[in-house]
Formats: sequence, C-alpha cells, structure tokens
Amino acid sequence: MKKLLFSLFFLFSMFSLTGYAQGGEDLLKLALKDMGDGQYMKDFTIELKKAKKDVKTGYVKFSVILNSRSHYKFNVVNGSSNAEQAIMQLYDGDKLLVSNFESGKHYKSCEFICGKTKVYNLIFSFKGGEEGTARAVLSLVKQYSEAEMKF
Amino acid sequence: MLKNLFFTLLILAGAQLFSGCSGSSKKSDQSTSDELSLPDSLVNDAPLQLSEEIIGDVIQNISSPVEMASLIKSTGVAFSQKTLNKTDKVSNYNTSFKRALNLGVYSADLGYINTFDKNTIVVSYLLSIKDLSEGINVGQFFDFTSLKRLATNSNNLDSLMEISITSFNRMDDYLRQQKRSNVSSLIVTGAWVEGLYIAANVIEQTNNKELINRIAEQKDIIDILLIILNNYNQDDNFATLATKMEGLKKAYEQVKITTEFGEPKKIEKDGTLIIVQDELSHVDITPEQVQNIVSEIRKLREHIVS
Repeated sequence: MKKLLFSLFFLFSMFSLTGYAQGGEDLLKLALKDMGDGQYMKDFTIELKKAKKDVKTGYVKFSVILNSRSHYKFNVVNGSSNAEQAIMQLYDGDKLLVSNFESGKHYKSCEFICGKTKVYNLIFSFKGGEEGTARAVLSLVKQYSEAEMKF
Repeated sequence: MLKNLFFTLLILAGAQLFSGCSGSSKKSDQSTSDELSLPDSLVNDAPLQLSEEIIGDVIQNISSPVEMASLIKSTGVAFSQKTLNKTDKVSNYNTSFKRALNLGVYSADLGYINTFDKNTIVVSYLLSIKDLSEGINVGQFFDFTSLKRLATNSNNLDSLMEISITSFNRMDDYLRQQKRSNVSSLIVTGAWVEGLYIAANVIEQTNNKELINRIAEQKDIIDILLIILNNYNQDDNFATLATKMEGLKKAYEQVKITTEFGEPKKIEKDGTLIIVQDELSHVDITPEQVQNIVSEIRKLREHIVS
C-alpha cells in the first residue's frame, strides 16, 4: 500500500512538471499577444526557484546583440502563481541602461533605442528574491535612419 | 485516513495524466524516436576549447535575420526571388554539415519571404526546412501541418512568422541541451551569411546608406563566428568554412566604427518607458571597401549553398 502511494506521489510530481512546461507555452502566447505591432525576434524563459539552502532566488542572464539605430521592446508576462513580478534589466557591461522597474513603478514593458551594435546583457530577477516564472519577448519596433536618430 | 489520501492522490494523478497528455503526445513520441547522437561529420572526440555553455551564449548573440529583412524592406526595394537559395537544391545537401548550414540559409530566406508577405512561395521553403531539419534529427520542433495551413492564408502571415521563430528557438535550445552546439553554430552561420547576401544584392542595386551601415557594423560579429567555428576546426568542413570566413574578415579590416557619447534620454509614452541610449556609433567605409565586402560575402555564400 505504501509503495502504491509512493508511486502515485511520483506520478503526480512527474505530470505536474509537464503541466508546468505547458504553462510556459501559455505565458509565451500571452507575451506575444502583449507584444503589440512590433516584429517578434526572441523570447526568454525565466524560472527561478530557491535551492535547498537559499533564502532568496538569484537572477538569470541572457546575452543579446542589439543593433544600432534600432528600437526594441521588451515585454514580460508573469506566471499566475508568482508572489512578485519579474524585474527585467538591460545592461551594457556593468552599466544599467533600462529596467521595467524604476522609481518604485513596475512597467509591463520597456523600450530601448539602441545607438551601438554590440552584445548587451538581459537580467531577470524577482523582487525580494521570491521564486517565480515569467516569459519575456524581445521585438523590433522600428529601425531608424541616421537622420532620424535626433531625439 | 490512508484510504482517503489514496483516493485523493488517485484522482489528482488521473487528472494530471489527462491534462499533461493533451496537446503534447505528438512531441513526446517524436522525441523518443529521435537519435540524440551527433551526426556523421560533426562527430568529434577532441576536447572543446570553449564550453558548450559559452558557445551557446555566443550563438544566442547573433542577430536575427528578421531584422535584416525588415531593414531591406524599409529601403523600398522590391522583393527578389532570384536572390534566394533555390529549393530544388535540398536533395544535394547530403551531409549533416551541409544540411545544418543550409537550414540556416533557408530560415533567413523564410524571414525575407515572410517580411515581404510572399505567401505563394512560403510552402516550398517550409518543405525545404522540413527536409533539412529531419535530416539532422530536429524535425520534431516544426509543426509543418500548422505552418502550411497558416501559409495558405495571407491574414495569418504574422502567426506564421511567430511560429517559425519559436520553432527555431526551441530547436536551438534543444541542440544546446543535447550538447550539439556545433549544429547550432552552423545554422546560425548559414542564416547570418544569407542575411548579408540578400542585403549585399540590395546594396548593389540601391547603394542604400542604412544597409551599408548595417553591413559595416557586422565587423565584430565575424570575430564571434570565427571563435565558434575555429572551436570545431579539427573537422575539415569547419576548418574550410573558417578559412573562407577569414577572407571576409580581411575585407572588413579597414572599416572604421567610432562612437559618439551624449546624454541618455528617457521618454514615458502610454505607460511605456522608452530609453534612448547615450552612445551613437558612426561608420566610416569607402565604396571600394563595400565592394570588397560584397564580393567576399558572395564567395562565402557560394561555398555554403553549392
């Protein structure tokens, strides 16, 4: 009887994981819907869980090449069970360029008009080091000519 | 108590079983039959100089061909099917090396076709991608029935583009998880070269300054690709491809890219935060340098698609 119970626990855990993956696809669909009129380029999966000894979760980092004179949009959709919303930060080396969390305000999306083609780092974390899942989409809003870059 | 717990678990497990299986059974079946080993010429026992993680990170960095296609469209130049790689060449690509490289080429072509809404030829390119992806055991990431259905209706072209890109992203994630970054690197190289090739043809017709700038700004990307290709240069195919790429790198040597620094600007519009970067790059390139680069792109592309 105990063995049967244990097997059912195992079965339940396995299929919970499958359900979790499917939830990720649903988040992507939502993120694509929220993307707007831009051109979809890339998506990012954020899944942060505390390790056994950890009190807080850390961050997840992605590298992206962004092109000069291009206007990009980053939009994030949070998992329904998240205690806190995902914070997205775009860095050039150690210099923070843009974040969806600024002056205590959380933006659903943020946009970046790039001036130099190079590798940038995209970092995701959850406020207070909470666990959570999210899906983010990078889309191209517009490409400007040299003359149009006078903002 | 134990009996109640047993029944609760039984119901929960049953419910999870049904919900977990819906919509994912096809993918599971295909994954299990997929061979995960490295294909023929890509098998290499020599230790890698760069870890799979670093290579994966670098590969992710290569620009999307969609961006180049979008820039080409903005020049106002008409779509040219002649520029694309012909789909009847697929059967000639009979090694995994060639299949992976040309999978990248056709993916860039597909991006170009989609950007110009040319749905009449989309299906033949999707079929080429299907053949090549199955040839390197990654066909399971493309739902070709849905893609073909979307391609037959011009109202669905945005969805077609989204599904194509997500399929490529999932395939790339899978290849990296399976430690097949060598395959990923070829797909990315093929797509990057094809994007440059299409742009080079438009430059010859229009001499468009924005496209010339974009081509010039690819100078640093060549170094990234060379690091990856040289990592696998114990394989003759990789070594030859890297040598051809060196020719292109040489053509870029005299191109100068300078950066002007200013103040970052912050705009809040309709609840969205827009940041304008405080750096702006400028390209210094002569017509002769453009011609040399275009000529080297042609040679490299010919090597890939032949």
